Amino acid sequence: MSAALDRAVRADGGRVIAALAARFRDLDLAEDAFAEACAAATAVWPGKGAPADAAAWLYAAAARKALDAVRRRAVRGRLMLDDPEPGETPEEALMRADQPIPDERLRLIFVCCHPAVAPDARAALTLKLVCGLDTGEIAAAFLISEPTLAQRLVRAKRKIAEAGVPFEVPGPDAWPERMDAVLSTLEIAYAGAHADAAGAGERAGLAEEVLRLTAVLAQLAPDEPEALALAATVRFAEARRPARLDETGAMVPLDRQDASLWRADLIAEGERLLARAAALNRTGPRQLQAAIHAAHCTRLRTGRTPWRSVLTLYDALLAFRPDPVVRLNRAVGLAQVAGAEAALKEVEALYAPALARWLPYHAARAHLLAEVGRTAEAADAFAAALALDPAPAERLYLERRRREVA
Amino acid sequence: MQYMLLIYENDVTAYADGEAGKAWQEIVEAHGRFAGDLVQAGVMRGGNGLKRADTATTVRRTAGAHTVHDGPYAETREQLGGYYLIDVPDLDQALAWARRLPLTGDGAVEVRPVLGSDEAPAEAEREAAHGA
Repeated sequence: MSAALDRAVRADGGRVIAALAARFRDLDLAEDAFAEACAAATAVWPGKGAPADAAAWLYAAAARKALDAVRRRAVRGRLMLDDPEPGETPEEALMRADQPIPDERLRLIFVCCHPAVAPDARAALTLKLVCGLDTGEIAAAFLISEPTLAQRLVRAKRKIAEAGVPFEVPGPDAWPERMDAVLSTLEIAYAGAHADAAGAGERAGLAEEVLRLTAVLAQLAPDEPEALALAATVRFAEARRPARLDETGAMVPLDRQDASLWRADLIAEGERLLARAAALNRTGPRQLQAAIHAAHCTRLRTGRTPWRSVLTLYDALLAFRPDPVVRLNRAVGLAQVAGAEAALKEVEALYAPALARWLPYHAARAHLLAEVGRTAEAADAFAAALALDPAPAERLYLERRRREVA
Repeated sequence: MQYMLLIYENDVTAYADGEAGKAWQEIVEAHGRFAGDLVQAGVMRGGNGLKRADTATTVRRTAGAHTVHDGPYAETREQLGGYYLIDVPDLDQALAWARRLPLTGDGAVEVRPVLGSDEAPAEAEREAAHGA
C-alpha cells in the first residue's frame, strides 16, 4: 500500500465505510467495496498521483463497486422492482449537500454496539469497521486467535443483516440504554489496550484507536455527558502511559509515578472534555470516574494528590456502581486518608469466593498487609496475586514487592 | 420485515389458579389491549395465546422413528405461552413492541425474524436498479 493510501485508510477509512454501510444497509458489501476501492487505488494512484481528496475518491470508487455488486445480485435473483420512483434517502440528501462524504460513523457505532449483537463481538466489530483495524491487530489486542475472532465477526454481521438491525441512531426512548451499550463497548476496547502497562506492540496501536474513537463519539454526541466523560477518562489514563514503567520494565503504581513524565497535552484535553460534560448538569458514573482520574492528574501541577477529593468521588461513584471494583479502588484512597488499617478492613470485608481469582484484590490486600506490618500474610497475598498470571510488567513489580516484604 | 414475538412465562407460578383465576383474566384483557394497539399501528399480522404448557404433547423424531410423549418439548421453568406475528421495518421497532408486551410476572419475549420476509426490494437494490 502506498503511503498516501495508508494515510487515507487510517484517517478516513471508518468514515468511508460508515457512509457506505449507511447507504447500502449492508456491512459486508460496504467492507468488500471499500477493499476493492483500495485495490483500485493501489493500481491507479502510483501512476497518476494521489487525488487531492483521497477519502472522497475512495468513497466514490467504493460506491461504484457496491452498486455494481448490487446490480449483479439483483439480476441473479431476477428481482422484480415494483417501485419505479424511490424517494430520496437521507444519505442522498447529504450527498447533494456540499459535504462530500456524509459522516455516518455514529450510526455505524450504534449498529456495531447494538444489544442484539453478542457482547464479545461488539468491541471487535467497532474497531474493525469504524477504526479500520485488521483482524490480526484486534485478535492480538484481545488475546484471542484470529480464526476465533473472524468467526465472531462473521456471526455478528450475519445477525445484523438477518435480524434486521437498523442503521439508525436510536430514538429518545432507547437512547439511554443504547448509548450505555456503546460506552461499555468502548470501555472494553480500552481495557484491552490499557491492561498491559508495557503497552508494547499491537496494544499500543489499540490505545490510539480508542483515543480516536472516543474523540469521534464526543464530537458526534456533544450533548451526551457520559460520552464526553469516557473520552476524558481515556485521555487521563493515556496521559500517564509514559510513567507506567520504570527502567527495569516493571509497572509503577499510580501514586509512585513520576508525574513530570505525564503528558500535559492529553490531560488538558481530558479536562476540557470533562468541563463540557459537567456543564450539561447530568451526573453519571463515567463522569465521576473521569473526575477521579482528573484529581489524580492534578498532581502534575500541584505536586500532591487530593486524596480527600478522590475518596469523596469514590463515595459518589459507589451510589451508581456498588460493585467490588469500585469498593476496592475506594479502599486504596481510604488508606491515604484514614490509614492502611481501616482500608484493610474494607478490603477484607469484600471477600467473596468469586474474587479468589481476581488479581487486583490480592494485590491491594498484599500492599495493605505489608503496610500494617503483617509481612508473612502479605507475602502469601503477593504469591496469590502472582499465581493469577499477571502481565509481565505487573509480574516484575509484584515480585519485587514480595521480595521487599520477605 | 415480519417478526415473531414468542412469549415465555412460568405459567405454573403466574397463573396458579388456572384459567378461571384473576391473573389469567387480567392477562387476557391486557393482551386484548396490546393486540388492539398492534392493529391500530397497522403492524398486526397474527397471534394466539396457548393453553398451559401441561396441555402440550410432543412428537419427537429420533433416528427416523417417532415417539409421542406428554409435556412440552423442553422441561424449562418458562414455557412458550403465546405469540404475535408483526410486520415492522426493523429490529428496533420489533424490540420496542416486545418491551410493551404484557407479562404477568417475570418472563421473556423472544424476537425472531420470519424467514423470507426481508423487505424486498431493499433500498440498495432499488437504488442500483435506478442508477442512482
